[in-house]
Amino acid sequence: MIRLRGVSLTYPNGVRALDNLNLEIEKGSFVFLIGSSGTGKSSLLRLLYRERVPSEGEVYVDGVRIDTMKRSKVPYLRRNVGVVFQDFKLLADKTVWENVAFALQVTGASTKDVRRQVPRCLELVGLSHKSRMFPHELAGGEQQRAAIARALVNNPKILLCDEPTGNLDPATTSEIMELLLRINLKGTTILVATHNQAVVDRMRRRVIRLENGRIHSDEERGYYFLGLGQSSVLSG
Amino acid sequence: MQITAIATVAVTIFMLGAFLFTRETVAKLSTDLLSRIEISVFLSDKVDDAHARALAEQIKSDPRVLIVTYVPKAEGLRQLRERLQGQIDTSLLTMNPLPNAIRIRVKNPDNVPAVARSIQRMSGVATVEYAQDAVTKVLRLTDTLSRLGLGMILVLVFAAAVIISNTIRLTVFARRREIAIMQLVGATNGYVRAPFLAEGFLTGTLGALVAILILGVLHAEVLPKITQTLSFIPFASAPVDVSRLVLELLGAGAIVGVFGAWVSVSRYLRV
Repeated sequence: MIRLRGVSLTYPNGVRALDNLNLEIEKGSFVFLIGSSGTGKSSLLRLLYRERVPSEGEVYVDGVRIDTMKRSKVPYLRRNVGVVFQDFKLLADKTVWENVAFALQVTGASTKDVRRQVPRCLELVGLSHKSRMFPHELAGGEQQRAAIARALVNNPKILLCDEPTGNLDPATTSEIMELLLRINLKGTTILVATHNQAVVDRMRRRVIRLENGRIHSDEERGYYFLGLGQSSVLSG
Repeated sequence: MQITAIATVAVTIFMLGAFLFTRETVAKLSTDLLSRIEISVFLSDKVDDAHARALAEQIKSDPRVLIVTYVPKAEGLRQLRERLQGQIDTSLLTMNPLPNAIRIRVKNPDNVPAVARSIQRMSGVATVEYAQDAVTKVLRLTDTLSRLGLGMILVLVFAAAVIISNTIRLTVFARRREIAIMQLVGATNGYVRAPFLAEGFLTGTLGALVAILILGVLHAEVLPKITQTLSFIPFASAPVDVSRLVLELLGAGAIVGVFGAWVSVSRYLRV
């Protein structure tokens, strides 16, 4: 589903964010992308929805090479790759319903489609009862749910999450991760970039650690810290 | 901010409209004046009446010629007497000094010199006269005005486009968050551009409408006073097609608005 070959990314200011990355992620996986700040997690995600283009290498999403894709085709890629951010990025002057519907409307969906899909997504994330509220009236966790609903409304094959629980308390964090798991069970490939050690350790999924723009480790049922197993000095 | 853009466009289109109106009036006046110019062809004395009429026919066959009038010397003398009535006692004239003449009006005043030249070459023609100086001067004047006009129009249109472009840029900047999210969820560039193009179109068209209204008021109130003051100029023979001018100005406003908006938005959507 996602494939990177020899990918490097150097920013205009000279910073080498990614260095000769090779990576493959199968359809339906749930993958954590970890590493301290500035190691390239966000940059990698940006490549996957073509916010950035690699300086070297090839990027494939769902079998299609996207780094050389024509600019005009990028919107269609983005309808197939949902993105969720740490700061939710909801439109403040629209209700939850309108925010989710927005993602459908810009793709030219009919009113009938909108009326069918939006409630479905809101129900999936558990926000049906708050659809008429505005973002500032919601708690952080609810705002993130709304953002997830919006990311899913076009039925994307991939969901990218850039520090989705960064602004949330532990309890809400669990709820969101549970939601993401549920979504993953339905077949969506999910890639989560995170700092959250507890979450990673609890879920035991594939963990890819980046360091200095390179893949430091890639474990199938990994922990946040390499080789620490059960004896983690940081958690209780 | 919106009002400023509309007002500035209105001023630009107003100046454009005033200029176009003036230029068209001058052009029509010159054409009319020039078309009244007659070419006077004076025939040699050796040419008899039949030959003269034949010459007249030959001249009439030229497609550039509108009216040909044969004025035999007797008729010429009669007209002269009429014109000089009371000023000179023409009974003193014992013989007719006038030659046989042919008076010609052409269809397109630009052709006057050329037609005159071709007639000069015909046998039996003594002299060909027309108001050479006046014709040349007027033709040169209208040509210069046309060229000046084109230059000025381009400058004005460019200015209006820049103004609208700047206004739209402010709107784009104000809505950058919404645009970013639009692009994130997969809106095409066309979808993002559309509302801004519409705004540019509206601004341009509204500005043009305001200008047209002001021009209309001036046309109804001020123009009659001007034509009265300059009553020696036959303005009546230079009717400007107002409805066409209105449409042109509206079109100019719309095009400028859309163009300015397009440039603005495209620069933002560069990636």
